[in-house]
Amino acid sequence: MTRLFRTFKLGLKSLLLHPMRSALTVLGIFIGVASVIWLLAIGEGISREAQRQIEDLGAENIIVRSVKPPDGASGVGGTVDDFGVKRSEAEMILATVPTIEHVVPIRELQQNFIYNGNPNAKPVDGRLVGCTPEYAAINRLEVARGHFITHREVDAERSVCVISAVLADRLFPSEDPINKQMYLPEKLEYFSIVGVLKKRNATAAIGGSLSAQDFSLDVYIPISTMFQRMGDREIKRTGASFSISSFELSQITIQVSNVQDVPRTAELIESTLMDGNRDRQDIAVVVPYELLEQAKTTRLMFMMFMGLIAAVSLIVGGIGIMNIMLATVTERTREIGIRRALGGKRSDITQQFLVETISLSVVGGLTGVLGGLLCPLVVYYAREGVKQCAPDFYANLPEVAKIMSPEIVPASIPIAFFISVVVGVIFGIYPAIRAAKMDPIDALRHE
Amino acid sequence: MNEPIKMAASLRDLQKHYVLKSETVKALRGISFDVPEGDYVAIMGPSGSGKSTLLNLLGCLDRPTLGSYFLGDADVAQMSDDELSEVRASKLGFVFQSYNLIPQLSVVENIEVPLYYMGQLNAESRARSTGLATMVGLGGRLGHRPAQLSGGQQQRVAIARSLVNDPYFILADEATGNLDSVTTEEILALFQRLNDEGRTIIMVTHEDEVSQHAKRVIWLKDGEVQSDQPVENRDVFTAKRIQEISNNAEVRT
Ligand SMILES: Nc1ncnc2c1ncn2[C@@H]1O[C@H](COP(=O)(O)OP(=O)(O)OP(=O)(O)O)[C@@H](O)[C@H]1O
Ligand SMILES: [Mg+2]
Repeated sequence: MTRLFRTFKLGLKSLLLHPMRSALTVLGIFIGVASVIWLLAIGEGISREAQRQIEDLGAENIIVRSVKPPDGASGVGGTVDDFGVKRSEAEMILATVPTIEHVVPIRELQQNFIYNGNPNAKPVDGRLVGCTPEYAAINRLEVARGHFITHREVDAERSVCVISAVLADRLFPSEDPINKQMYLPEKLEYFSIVGVLKKRNATAAIGGSLSAQDFSLDVYIPISTMFQRMGDREIKRTGASFSISSFELSQITIQVSNVQDVPRTAELIESTLMDGNRDRQDIAVVVPYELLEQAKTTRLMFMMFMGLIAAVSLIVGGIGIMNIMLATVTERTREIGIRRALGGKRSDITQQFLVETISLSVVGGLTGVLGGLLCPLVVYYAREGVKQCAPDFYANLPEVAKIMSPEIVPASIPIAFFISVVVGVIFGIYPAIRAAKMDPIDALRHE
Repeated sequence: MNEPIKMAASLRDLQKHYVLKSETVKALRGISFDVPEGDYVAIMGPSGSGKSTLLNLLGCLDRPTLGSYFLGDADVAQMSDDELSEVRASKLGFVFQSYNLIPQLSVVENIEVPLYYMGQLNAESRARSTGLATMVGLGGRLGHRPAQLSGGQQQRVAIARSLVNDPYFILADEATGNLDSVTTEEILALFQRLNDEGRTIIMVTHEDEVSQHAKRVIWLKDGEVQSDQPVENRDVFTAKRIQEISNNAEVRT
């Protein structure tokens, strides 16, 4: 016991003989260990974020999106072909596919909204969404006041609407929106507000077919009312020219009863929709569940890649240790000779140098763990710093970099520490054995 | 009735050959002598005669090619590397020409090194090391590093270290070779005091003035013992002189 203590004390004394050199060696291990923790934490943060965004779409959902064909594909002057997913198709899916809970037809239009009681106010540009009551649950929309669209309102084709929190704030800064009339100047239609939603974060853009959904400026009305009042044809004026498009639905969201059935159901739906037309270009089927599975494997690969980089930096640190220890052994040949002459066995010499390398790597490991734990904090302040000092640069950063917060992987701490000790042993053993192999007489004669 | 004299070391036809690429160097070609306990031997001889080789064998740093070497009752020639290390730690004391202290250790810690390898570090051994440091006149410098000491002081630390394991004998290879005459006298006075107290000392030197302090001189030539004689008219420090020298040494420390 005293002896081991002495060995360590001696090791520290020898290391402190060259404080700068020892510090630099420790730095190598520090960087290795800290980078293990950092890279894993950042990897975890990014993949958690991706996973969260996909989960936002609902793993039990299958989304069929209408895709507008490129301009010119439609007929010229007045005649416009329908594109996208049809109401009949939505009904057919509900009728024929057995594993389905709900089918939610959705039609989205870009519109201006005005509060009728305040005609001088500037119109707010938002999204008009025709949907059914299930839309709220599927998109995790929560009602703050009033209620979401009901089945009765859909069946009766009532002119009611539910508005998002941000839109409510803009249109009704000082009034209660419930039961007020909302006016759509482009459609010349009034809707009576029956509900206001809570704030909802945007979902991610996934793949090319599904763009990010921002729920902040939405107005929801019954899909039946939308069809009844506005038809399928949509005319948009942009300056002097205008464009006409005709589509029945923007999207149908199909909720599957059991998550396990998602892949099977998706296949079935796809074949139903593609029936007779293998390369139908006007729809896209998005399956968040598959994306989620994909994201999981991507995450695994990502973690492995990060781990590899970290491992390389640890090896570099280890080589640093070995380099220093070899130099130390040569430099201390005389000391080795003295110790052998005074009764030190080969194993004592090996032990002595191993203790020194392990001390170096343990100190590097411990400080590295501390440095690693600082990761979330450093990332936070770095981001704030960039935001303050270089707002332009910040604005151009990819979305992940803005919202990702590193997640320390708990296992990475003991692993990183353990690896640092192992690195110390592995890279220390050769110099230590070399020291022990020296002939005492030659070592004593060494100048 | 004479009691048989106990031998600290006894050598029989000891040979050491170095096998080189083209030839075999016979550094020692059959050395035989006994060192009774309490003896004070000086080994002399021209350069290349095999003095260091012999001392390395006596010090168990190396194994003989032929012959036997008994240290007390144990035959060193047959020992393994680890056993030799144990013997060095527990039964031998070394004093080198170039002091050979460990630079990062303090005076007491240097003295303790053999005990460390014997696994006998404790409060008692610390007291013993401190006592030895005081005996060689360095009681006030226990915490100093070798670099903070003069050559003579370092050599005195080395002598204290050679005594810490209560060895069969002390081996000194040119222990005074790096020292001036005043300091040499200090060290020799210390050796004589130790020998008077019963310590066995074997030293290599090529200075006649130094060998004159020993009780016996063994002359080597070409790896053989040329002569082995008691010292006539031995240079002996009087008790008063020893006192004087050690007082002087203490004043200088
Ligand atoms: N490791 C070795 N390999 C080969 N030959 C050696 C070795 N060590 C010593 N010798 C040879 O053995 C002989 C005796 O050498 P040794 O060092 O014992 O002489 P010495 O009496 O100590 O000389 P000096 O007074 O110069 O120190 C010399 O011829 C030397 O060249
Ligand atoms: Mg020599």
